[in-house]
Amino acid sequence: MRPENYEAIKQPPSNEFELNFGPNHPGIEGNYAFRVKLNGDEVLSARADAGYLHRGFEKLMEGRLWIQNIALVPRICVPDPVPMEVCYSLAIEELCGLEIPERAQWLRVMQLEMSRLAAHLFAFGGHAATTGMYTPMFWGVADRDLILDRFEELTGGRVYSIYNIPGGVRRDMPDGFLDRLGALLDYLDSRLPDYDSLFFRNQVFIRRARDVGAMTQEQALKWGVTGPNLRATGLAFDVRRDDPYLAYEKIDFDVVTQPGGDALSRNLVRRAELKQSIRILRQVIKHLPSVKGAVRCPIPNPLAWNVPAGETYTRVESSKGELAYYVVSNGGDKPYRVHVRGPSSMHAVQVLEKLAVGSRLEDIAQIMFSLDACPPEVDR
Amino acid sequence: MSKELNLWLDDLLKDIKIIQFKRKNSRRVRIDIAPEALPALLELLQGRASYVHLSAISCVDWIEENEFELVYHVWSYETNSLVSAHTRISREPGVYLSVYDLYTPAAFFERDIHEMFGVYFEGSPDMEKFILTEWNGPPPMRKDFDSEAFVNQTFNWEEYHPQWLKDIEAEGGGITTRPEDVR
Repeated sequence: MRPENYEAIKQPPSNEFELNFGPNHPGIEGNYAFRVKLNGDEVLSARADAGYLHRGFEKLMEGRLWIQNIALVPRICVPDPVPMEVCYSLAIEELCGLEIPERAQWLRVMQLEMSRLAAHLFAFGGHAATTGMYTPMFWGVADRDLILDRFEELTGGRVYSIYNIPGGVRRDMPDGFLDRLGALLDYLDSRLPDYDSLFFRNQVFIRRARDVGAMTQEQALKWGVTGPNLRATGLAFDVRRDDPYLAYEKIDFDVVTQPGGDALSRNLVRRAELKQSIRILRQVIKHLPSVKGAVRCPIPNPLAWNVPAGETYTRVESSKGELAYYVVSNGGDKPYRVHVRGPSSMHAVQVLEKLAVGSRLEDIAQIMFSLDACPPEVDR
Repeated sequence: MSKELNLWLDDLLKDIKIIQFKRKNSRRVRIDIAPEALPALLELLQGRASYVHLSAISCVDWIEENEFELVYHVWSYETNSLVSAHTRISREPGVYLSVYDLYTPAAFFERDIHEMFGVYFEGSPDMEKFILTEWNGPPPMRKDFDSEAFVNQTFNWEEYHPQWLKDIEAEGGGITTRPEDVR
């Protein structure tokens, strides 16, 4: 068309424009996107756009043996995979009425807390990067790698350990593992003051994160917020303490809360949980040598295992919040239905859509990372 | 306090004729209820018994009975107990009521179930596609959708026989089990 023939389409005067934020954006955690409507840099509305990571886990699980799914479930959440295995195994144990040995319970607690430490180090590192500070991210990822080394020694796998099976864990620890874990904890403990002065007491972070993405306790309860994000609004609730599983009843730890409900409070809760996880792991190291016995109870041939018909809803506290599996068996060798309730299915969709409204464009990434949203849990 | 509240719930629910009440353990309760009465039960649980947290809504496709089972898991932060309310609706037409006015998180779960099972929830704020935006087939989580058959119809199996494999086979080795034999 010749320029003199061009006539612009008349639009009503408006300052609003729409922006596709993600799925390939450094401020977005994983493959996830937002359609935001902006006025200047103020967000008028935000709409989550998921599905870039949909692998159909729930359908896949219906076509595989009970035991095969153990290798599948940790893929649902990459940064924090152990709770997925444990929760799925707990569901099968409840359906079969298996009583797992005490040593296996403590080994599972150990794994869960190691995974929580790794996930929290990852989470606050990511948050730091969204505020322009890349050093905490490098430190966090480097220290997480040391935890992954211990996972490799214990299970053979760095990220996906696939160490749990229904009835317990696959094998016992290598010799001297607890000493090396203890040395790692000493190191991580000594790093916490460094993290404080680099990040958690850094005015750059505090001024950026304060009052960003704030919610009250009423809102958090109404929107289905769980985990550290709920504790950051002042409610002391933890599935480990209030709906205990495994050996958590025998372990002494604090449920940390913060009053603010904003991005700063959520990070401070995670910071305090690093300390609590180290405390739990120290108790495990102290207690585990005195627990003798097998690491798993006898199970039927796993390739021809018909789990009794029934249904169960098991919950664990993952690093992101309440993780639950609804498992239905019709007495066959494969699950009839598995429903995964990832904590991020609330945080990354509804909560983030609501918190983003009224914030500024550059804060969306910060809100997302402060909620520790994990998009694969939404897509499944 | 929490123990008394739990017992109060037992007494209350055992008296209602239209529901089946089963306590699994001190923190898990299963209730089977007719679909007409479920929203009222949830309203009672939320308003009068402090079950403010909707943990999940699960859907199970019981194709032989031609029914969908909907399970509402609600948690009380005060009594630390979970009630799973089970109800069954007909598979055709697969329409049910939304509980979004009681529980905000229901919007996500109902949207998900609509997408994966094709159950329509009347009154839910958003029934648009979410995860499977480019999918035009039947709802994939239904039991009558066979994903393996779908793959075989849609895609071609590709013959993969590279030179390095031919070299190994010339020496008498190679893949001993063909993929079709495994399947």
